[in-house]
Amino acid sequence: MKPGALLKSLWTTDPQRVARQYLWGGFLFLLVGGLLAMLIRFQWAWPGQPVPGLAWALPESKGALTPPTYTAVFTMHGLLMIFFAVTPLLFGALGHLVLPLAIGTPRMAFPRLSALGFWAYAVGGALMLASFCVRLGAASAGWTAYPPLSTPAFTPGLGQTLVTVAVLCVGVSAFLYGLNFVVTVVRCRAPGMTWGRLPLTVWGLFYGAVLNVLFVPVLAAATGLLLLDRVAGTQFFIAGAAAVGGGGDPLVYQHLFWLFGHPEVYILILPAWGMVGDFVAFFSRKPAHGYRLTAGAMGAVTALSGAVYAHHLFTSGMAPVLGRTFMVLTLLISLPAQVMFLNWLMTLWKGSVRLTSPMIAALATMIVFGLGGITGLALGAVATDVPLHGTLWVVGHFHLTMGAASFLAVFAGLYFWFPRMYGRSLHEGLAKAHVLSSAVLFIAVFGGQLVAGYAGQLRRLYDPYQYTFLAHLLPLNRWTTFAAFLLGAAQLLFVVNLVRTLGWGRAAEPNPWKVGTLEWTNAGASPVVLRGPHELSQPEVQQQLGRDWIGQAEPLPVAVPVKVADAPEPSGVEGAG
Amino acid sequence: MKPVSGPPVSALLASTAPAGSADPAMPARPSTALAPPDAQAPLAVAPARGAWSLSLPENASAHGDRIDALLASSHRFELALAAVMLGWLLVAVVRFRGARKVAPDGGTRRSRAWVLGLALGVFGVVDGSLFLGSESYLRDVLWNFRVPTEDPRTVRIEINAHQWSWEARYAGQDGTFGTKDDVVTWNDLRVPAGVPVWVQLVSTDVVHGFALPAFRVKLDAIPGRVNQTWFQAAREGAWEVACYQHCGTSHYRMRGVLTALSPEAYAAWLREAGRQAVQAYDADDTAAHWGWAWRTP
Ligand SMILES: [Cu+2]
Repeated sequence: MKPGALLKSLWTTDPQRVARQYLWGGFLFLLVGGLLAMLIRFQWAWPGQPVPGLAWALPESKGALTPPTYTAVFTMHGLLMIFFAVTPLLFGALGHLVLPLAIGTPRMAFPRLSALGFWAYAVGGALMLASFCVRLGAASAGWTAYPPLSTPAFTPGLGQTLVTVAVLCVGVSAFLYGLNFVVTVVRCRAPGMTWGRLPLTVWGLFYGAVLNVLFVPVLAAATGLLLLDRVAGTQFFIAGAAAVGGGGDPLVYQHLFWLFGHPEVYILILPAWGMVGDFVAFFSRKPAHGYRLTAGAMGAVTALSGAVYAHHLFTSGMAPVLGRTFMVLTLLISLPAQVMFLNWLMTLWKGSVRLTSPMIAALATMIVFGLGGITGLALGAVATDVPLHGTLWVVGHFHLTMGAASFLAVFAGLYFWFPRMYGRSLHEGLAKAHVLSSAVLFIAVFGGQLVAGYAGQLRRLYDPYQYTFLAHLLPLNRWTTFAAFLLGAAQLLFVVNLVRTLGWGRAAEPNPWKVGTLEWTNAGASPVVLRGPHELSQPEVQQQLGRDWIGQAEPLPVAVPVKVADAPEPSGVEGAG
Repeated sequence: MKPVSGPPVSALLASTAPAGSADPAMPARPSTALAPPDAQAPLAVAPARGAWSLSLPENASAHGDRIDALLASSHRFELALAAVMLGWLLVAVVRFRGARKVAPDGGTRRSRAWVLGLALGVFGVVDGSLFLGSESYLRDVLWNFRVPTEDPRTVRIEINAHQWSWEARYAGQDGTFGTKDDVVTWNDLRVPAGVPVWVQLVSTDVVHGFALPAFRVKLDAIPGRVNQTWFQAAREGAWEVACYQHCGTSHYRMRGVLTALSPEAYAAWLREAGRQAVQAYDADDTAAHWGWAWRTP
């Protein structure tokens, strides 16, 4: 292939192909971020011991993590996972795949923005990887990069600068697909696709995209000003302390950062919620319970998401009136979350449950998200937050909600839409083993972190056992590490499945899950939507079509209403593989 | 804390920590000793608590039990909610797996009202009681600076956080900061037991997190601002001071020791330390002269 043709095939404006580009990019960074997580776990189980097989990378310490390496490892782990793995997989890959198809449009509102967004992401990713190879090492100021630590006075390396630029690049990418998704949903829905007929997945992607548009610019402001502090000698975030002598205020950065950082949690989890809502309905063969309530609850969370951010700053010495306000707002957000969760449970209840791999992954998402949400209660109230702040309790909590839950949702979506994406079905048995073992091990790993954090173990400690009051936690941390290694190994189940399917997989049926959403029932045509996404087990549909589902744009052959008195008992299961 | 024979971890600690870690008598050191305890070496005493249970660090604070009780009640809520969620899910999946009869609607008006009512009820009970408990602790303790201001026995300390140590300043005998008898210690906080201790906290370089896990105290040290907190030791003993905000390469070694002495022993120590400070006073050593006006809320 000529280089020109290669470039042309890389610059694609087709959302389906952009989705695949994001998928492989996301997997690459998921792998790198996951390996870094294994290093962190190794360090807490065997502090300062040589890591087997790492001597080539760290010859001076014979493969052992040193404190500077360790700080780089946890910093890069957080940045890679959030910005380069999970968000791009949810929005870039699944979003570009599903959103246009599910609302019945062949293309995005701004096709070239999709391509531009992917390449901004790719450049950012390349800068992230490059930062591992520069003098003085990769970024090491934590994923939050609080100044003044993240300014050149304390982190002089080029790596921190590269990573700051990389975050700006990925911010551009997130803003572009956010804008593209919002406009696409608002303007490009098929005729008849009213707001009340959107699949919940589309609602989740839409709300998440709105948050991207609103709050990613705040991240860009924070990192942009930080970049100026790093390269142009400005002092936005350098206060007049003895060692730095600036005129700015490091606390302003913290406010800007979390004003983005907290909505980012919902950016990650909203698409996951949407998928859980849809899949629970699809695989209970039953309309989603309280569809409007669920969509409304997701909207309420979206609306509140920016108004709770300062609970990350409860220990920054903020004024009591602010502390109280943010405590109330933070506790308030649990109300819509509960409404949504109860609706999922009600959908399951008296449904006809099919434990397919996407369903198992969706149920696992529900469970880990539920556990994560529950463990966040104590962090919402100021008094109970203070002892837990900055401990592994927080780490376990947010890894359950935005790590495990969004990871499992990515795989729920992937197992569900893979036949649509590549025309082949992944192996169900391997897929089920993968999501089940991942879910159990996620709970083991992050449960271990919750316990260690409750006993007081602080985050980001190179060697926690320097502290006497943490010394007894070594065996616990070691078992947690074993669980984490198993979790890493369990991902081989997915790799084997993927290779097997792409290499030798059989062609998938056109609608393997027997559902009526547009991405399965209207390939290519310009549909006119007649009904909502969860019209499952409707008696007249069963009577006239002999199956328990009907496409969102599919007309019923006989438009004569069935007389209820004569209607036969619906059998409920026909046509549902 | 009583000395306990070292668990297997101590062998490992010996390899990663500097020498001098095997001094179980450290908390009982003569209170007049001026040499700071070797804060880089862990205390050799591991608390006798289960590593697998949800147990907090030992509580040494006069007010910590209120937070502990609140945390315990939040755990009861967490357990109850988790049990309901898992139970409901499990029963639904087992009982309705492949069921033949399915409701073709997205719930009735009544079932949706139940969802709203249940959510409101759980929210009211769980979040409501957490809010009220938190609020009363904040009002009575965390944000109530009337206690240290009005108590004549209150001891004031200025803490300056550095990469990577805690520098503490005591006003000395004259009770005034910025005079010749100011006592300065490193990674060695000394306070009288049973007396309010009022802390003003600053940072010289980056953001640090001042934490007394055994006292349920945690506050950021941020360059350019003065933060305040207060606490009261319930009894004599020695506990660790930790930095919980990532502050650079040696963040993990930013460890101090807080020793609560009897008020008499504390006064004796301060007298002797102040005397030595006056002798060692150097007017030209500008780096040693830091401080600020105390602001009372
Ligand atoms: Cu520090």
